[in-house]
Amino acid sequence: MKKRKFDVKQLPAATAGAIDDRYKVATPLRSFLNKVFPDHWTFLLGEIALFAFIILLLTGTFLALFFEPSMQEVTYQGSYLPLRDVHMSRAYETSLELSFDVRGGLIMRQMHHWAALLFMAAIVVHMARVFFTGAFRKPRELNWIIGLLLFWLGFLEGFAGYSLPDDALSGTGLRIASAIVLSIPLVGSWVSTSLFSGEFPGEIILERFYILHVFLLPLVLLTLITVHVGLVIVQKHSQFPGPGRTNHNVVGERWFPRYVLKQGGFFMLVFGVLALMGGLFQINPIWLFGPYEAAVVSSGSQPDWYVMFLDGSTRLMPAWEIRAFGYTIPAIFWPTVVLPGLLTVFPMFYPFIEARLRKDKGFHNLLERPRDVPERTGLGAAGITFYLVLTFSGGNDIIADKFQISLNAMTWAGRIGLLVLPPLAYYVARRICLGLQQHDREVLAHGVETGIIRLLPDGRFIEVHQPLAPVDEHGHGELPYVGAPVPKKMNRLGALPPAVRGFFKPIEEPAPPKPKDREKIETH
Amino acid sequence: MVAHSPRRPRSRARRRAIAALRMLAALVLAGGIYALVSPNAQANAPGQLSAAAQEGRALYETSCISCHANNGQGVEGRGPSLIGVGSAAVEFQVETGRMPAAAQGAQLERKPPQFNSDEARQLGQYIQELGGGPEIAFQGEQAPKGDIAHGGELFRVNCSSCHAFSAAGGALSSGKFAPSLEPSTDRQLYAAMLTGPQNMPVFGDNQMSPQDKYDVIAYVQNLKSDTDPGGWGLGRFGPVTEGVAIFLFGMVLLAFAALWIAGKS
Amino acid sequence: MSTGTGTGTGNGTGPTRFEVVRQGAREHDDVEIVHYEPQYPPGSKAEKRMTRIVSLMFMLSGLTAILFVLAYVWWPFTDWPSVDGWQYQPGNTASKGFTPILGLMLGLSLGFLGLGILTWGKKLLPHEIALQDRHDGGSDPAERALTGTTLQFIGEELGLARRPLLKVALAAPAAGLGAAALVVPVGMLIKDPHHPDVFFHTGWDPAANGGKKVRLVREDGVTAIRPEDISVGGQITAFPGIPEGNRNKHADSPVLLIRLRQDDAARLRENIKAYPTNAKFEKHPMVGDLVAYSKICTHAGCPASLYEQETNRLLCPCHQSQFLITDNAKPIFGPATQRLPMLPLELDEEGFLAAQGDFAVPVGPAFWEKPSERRDA
Repeated sequence: MKKRKFDVKQLPAATAGAIDDRYKVATPLRSFLNKVFPDHWTFLLGEIALFAFIILLLTGTFLALFFEPSMQEVTYQGSYLPLRDVHMSRAYETSLELSFDVRGGLIMRQMHHWAALLFMAAIVVHMARVFFTGAFRKPRELNWIIGLLLFWLGFLEGFAGYSLPDDALSGTGLRIASAIVLSIPLVGSWVSTSLFSGEFPGEIILERFYILHVFLLPLVLLTLITVHVGLVIVQKHSQFPGPGRTNHNVVGERWFPRYVLKQGGFFMLVFGVLALMGGLFQINPIWLFGPYEAAVVSSGSQPDWYVMFLDGSTRLMPAWEIRAFGYTIPAIFWPTVVLPGLLTVFPMFYPFIEARLRKDKGFHNLLERPRDVPERTGLGAAGITFYLVLTFSGGNDIIADKFQISLNAMTWAGRIGLLVLPPLAYYVARRICLGLQQHDREVLAHGVETGIIRLLPDGRFIEVHQPLAPVDEHGHGELPYVGAPVPKKMNRLGALPPAVRGFFKPIEEPAPPKPKDREKIETH
Repeated sequence: MVAHSPRRPRSRARRRAIAALRMLAALVLAGGIYALVSPNAQANAPGQLSAAAQEGRALYETSCISCHANNGQGVEGRGPSLIGVGSAAVEFQVETGRMPAAAQGAQLERKPPQFNSDEARQLGQYIQELGGGPEIAFQGEQAPKGDIAHGGELFRVNCSSCHAFSAAGGALSSGKFAPSLEPSTDRQLYAAMLTGPQNMPVFGDNQMSPQDKYDVIAYVQNLKSDTDPGGWGLGRFGPVTEGVAIFLFGMVLLAFAALWIAGKS
Repeated sequence: MSTGTGTGTGNGTGPTRFEVVRQGAREHDDVEIVHYEPQYPPGSKAEKRMTRIVSLMFMLSGLTAILFVLAYVWWPFTDWPSVDGWQYQPGNTASKGFTPILGLMLGLSLGFLGLGILTWGKKLLPHEIALQDRHDGGSDPAERALTGTTLQFIGEELGLARRPLLKVALAAPAAGLGAAALVVPVGMLIKDPHHPDVFFHTGWDPAANGGKKVRLVREDGVTAIRPEDISVGGQITAFPGIPEGNRNKHADSPVLLIRLRQDDAARLRENIKAYPTNAKFEKHPMVGDLVAYSKICTHAGCPASLYEQETNRLLCPCHQSQFLITDNAKPIFGPATQRLPMLPLELDEEGFLAAQGDFAVPVGPAFWEKPSERRDA
């Protein structure tokens, strides 16, 4: 009996054939593999957030296996001696167990927390890139709005997670959150008692935050992230202007294999950096804070950095309380409810506002350099300054203490700075943009400065310029500006030979001198 | 003994010699003196000062008298009366270098002390015998053993609001501050709780028994000596330095990585 | 334009695999590979060197990963093969190295892996520039029109426009189920803040203590306080002497009991006469030089407890509101707008401090219906 030989080599092709028979994937798969992606380092900022989110899901799942969001009162008997026999909630006890009694639990907790900070940091930096390059313009307005929602969802998700361990610092934050909810006109007290199921802190808030933190918000985040990335794929990534790049094409690399390899490598780097930070830098040492008790507080109480701007706005707010007809609008309402509301609504409509102001209805797949839109860049600089003043004010007591400045002076500096610095930033950024534009056009018209000074017969000194293109008799060129970087240095033009490559020893032989040069060398 | 000026070596040598002599005298007399002085020491007439107090008086009359006047009566607008402040307050102020004060400011700061601890105790003894007042309840440098966990509870309710969870200190109103407890010794911690220097509230023995204070001291010293289990503690300042770290380390590193990844070479 | 590549089936005359891919990408996917060039000539010294570097990275990654596993199981290797050394030990002990060594090894392993992959992608794979048409700007007009007509026809098929009764009838389940979807979550969660009136009652309310006035107790929840327990210039955090009075169940009850200096106390007594809105009392609310204020800040609810005994200021560490105790806890700096509520004190028959009654105003942060004047109920 002849045994049929099983051909291993034919296995992949046979499998692929079988799959395609059933699902007809060949065409979409190939177009996916061949998809072209433009390459610029700032396009990787959003990916940091995406990768951090994946790491958050991984580490968070691990933490959820050990954490119990219970406010039931227990007496600690774990291995951290300074808290032995202390009354605490079960949530805080399990957080301590995670830190001290679960092997590797502490590094998981710390990686999770660092990943949360990185997630928000990458979102903010990515958002700034999108804003300053005009990537939010038609047809990408919806993705800008989704990105903005992702920031606020990440903010809420982070705050909910920060509150879960029920340590004294997070409890202080929760208490402030309850004050913020209370301050909402008309319904504040109703919303507060409904949220906490009675008076603060009640007995159920952690369980509610837990389901928010591990299920509802991650679900929404995951959905929106999928849509966000999906829209990038469907609409194709925007690109910077440059040779061969038009509004109607994408210039870059095919997705597979090189680009995806780079993505995979970058994911590992993000993961690696978070592992390093999780192991080497201590974050949120809850065992030092102790359990949350209503009478306990520490000087230098701050929220995580991405909430700090709202803490700063709360600190800077003057004591303006509106009281009329027996009703009160507390001072805390304006910086913590109205301000975030404005910071959501205004950016959300910004793409449409800008299009209206610029009378711009076109499609934009080419990005703009920040210098080419001075008003937008100025506005962005003002916005970032506003945000930074608030964020620094959120830590103004630490700054006051460590740099020996009066706390009251820091508050006043923040109040004044919040009003004065953003307009100043707008003005300065706009002037810088205009100056850079001017320089670009000068170089296009006259050429690159060579650094060679020439003495003219009439005694004048001039610097010799290297024109970028043929010039007329006055030395003026006609090169148009196309929105791409203009070479400003001689070695950008290839006027200097490229450096020899190799770290310890050259990996390329320097080119042998040309025969003509050799003759010169020999004759001299 | 701390040198004021390295340019005067002779004077320093002489001072060292004097200090050594004083230390010797103090060591010889120490046991007897502490036995003689009961905790409820009454104000003795200047003529009946103990030997240590007489040493202290000599120091007082060279370094303190210009602000606090003769016999610790105090000078209006310059230095308060020291009658009844007790030896604990004197020891704290002198040992942490706050006294003699360099200048009158918003708050006296810790600086290198001008007197060594024996001299500080002699000064304290003198003031104690002048007008009585609170004294440190233990001899020697180490406080008796305390319960760390109980100390932690007391610390969180009473101390962390100003000195922070990490005992690294914090800002108070208008330029005042609660100092870091990093350099504080057992005796200084005890004296500070007992006497409430400057804006610090007083935690008298009725409120916080000596044993309670030992518990707090045990907690603080443990807090300081316990190595962080999670890596470098970033100064234990909390979310501010953590936020700085994520940008200066995490984001900067990854931005450079992105630059390299997308780079042409 | 260069197409130098060593890959391909290369059976003599037929097109190489690269040529097939390029042709296919151009014709089927609108992708034009305009530049495709290996970084190093295949088989060159430089290429081999790069291959070695990438391999070294991968090996280092594997090595550090193994070190990670060893440390995870056996750290700190001192009493091998015991696996319990990682557990927390106070002081400067080897157990404190556990998390850092894990982070270092994992970070290095992932970092080497990432660098290896990236070097592979960047250096060993050919450098390419490809161009793809976007084809954006909406569908083909004919397609668009056809889809629009199809959608319109769906509407026609449903026939809502022709059957108005159906439209009206459909509103009934829409409204009903919509209301149900709204009512159920709201109804489940809602709690009336005024029945019981939680914001107006704290642990100091004698009514909840069987009509007995509530004593001030220490943080242990049982030790009552005598006036002489607090030194001049001292302060103590006091809780209501009721069951669980020192727990978070009574999160709005903690007070700061302060003993002022005599002249400061006299000043406060003067000021209490002038501003009684934050307290309600029958007898004078101070016992000697002792006064008690709510520890819960009227701004955001943090414990305002940074008491400066020389300036008599009380600072809240969360938002830096400052209250002047000698001016009846008036807010003098920062975002707080309202005085701290005062707890009127008295001495009970055994000489312990007790509250005359509950706070006159709701403790803590303000809200819409919070009375700005005290409520005499």
